[in-house]
Amino acid sequence: MKILVAEDDRVSLRILEKNIRDWGYDIVVAANGDQALRKIGDENVRLAILDWMMPGINGLEICKHIRQNNGSNYIYIILLTSRDRSQDILEGLESGADDYMTKPVNFLELRARLKTGRRIVELEDKLLESNRKLKDLASRDSLTSLWNRANIMRFLEENLERGKREKQPVSTIMVDIDDFKRTNDTCGHLAGDIVLIQVAKQMERCLRKYDKIGRYGGDEMLVVLPGCGLKEAGGIAERLRLAVAGEKVRIPAGELEISVTLGCSSSADLSRPTPEALVQASDAALYRGKKQGKNCVVAE
Amino acid sequence: MNQAQKPRGTSSPIDMEDALARIGGDEDFLRELLELYVEDFSSRYVLLDKAVRGGDLKAVAELGHTIKGSSANLSLPSLRKQAFNLEKAGKNGDLGKARTSLAALGTEFRKLKVFIATRVA
Repeated sequence: MKILVAEDDRVSLRILEKNIRDWGYDIVVAANGDQALRKIGDENVRLAILDWMMPGINGLEICKHIRQNNGSNYIYIILLTSRDRSQDILEGLESGADDYMTKPVNFLELRARLKTGRRIVELEDKLLESNRKLKDLASRDSLTSLWNRANIMRFLEENLERGKREKQPVSTIMVDIDDFKRTNDTCGHLAGDIVLIQVAKQMERCLRKYDKIGRYGGDEMLVVLPGCGLKEAGGIAERLRLAVAGEKVRIPAGELEISVTLGCSSSADLSRPTPEALVQASDAALYRGKKQGKNCVVAE
Repeated sequence: MNQAQKPRGTSSPIDMEDALARIGGDEDFLRELLELYVEDFSSRYVLLDKAVRGGDLKAVAELGHTIKGSSANLSLPSLRKQAFNLEKAGKNGDLGKARTSLAALGTEFRKLKVFIATRVA
């Protein structure tokens, strides 16, 4: 873990440097406040020991700067000073310092405090990682692991915006599992869940890496195809249909033949291609497909 | 530096035991630090002298503060005390006290140099 030590007094700096290096940390030194600010920006510093009194920008100001320009990583700050009045301690902590030590530094104490700092920085990293995982989890449908409705709609909106800028069409396919209600009613909801999971997997495998599929409603799934016109979307939809129809779904009571109906639409064919309008057009195409006898693609 | 060279009594400018404890007992490193201290002190003393002559009490307080800090780091109590007196004199606007403290600081520094030349080098 990298520590920045900012101290204008060369004797203090050398003593700090030697001890901290001996304790196994990577160290970056700065002889004044300006250097410290530059190095914090350049290096991957996670802990900082700042002398309060330095020519130019002092430790307190660096503290404030770090907290105001909060980067992606938290920096744990220990302020050093010969001041020890309680008012100064308050000022130091209020400026954003995590800890405070008076000079001359007791090195046993500093070592212990750095360990505390390291622990907090590591906890912060773990927390950020958990947040990232939770965010991903919250964007997914818990049953099928496809993107959830909010996420797939956001993706559609972003791609329509981009498509407008780059003059590229975006297409959507609304997919509905044929006779899904009957499957649920006759085979039970567990079988229905298995069907949903299996169909989701089969379709996901057929898509290009820049396409996205999400669970739109009960047994409806929405596919977003950036840079795709209606004809191409129809081709992809047919591939999806064949993938689902070509593989039986195994449930506890046996095997089921499952099919899907798919309705396609493209932003190129709409006068005002909003996400809602595109979904509505795909939905209308899907409805026509159902009327035509299901297990088919409508892309016109 | 060995036990026989360890300063005794209050006249010694450095508390060797305390200073060595701070740097893991590394005597070579202490020598290096003392050299650094002497070098920095000399240039700061010139500035201090100039500040006292010019009545720049803010500079007196700041330089006094800096010398106090590095003296404390090397466990140099007398130098630390005189530097602190200078810092206080600067803050209190007491030029007379600044003059006497500057002279006393100079005397303590000379003692340190003698000590380094005879005991440490």
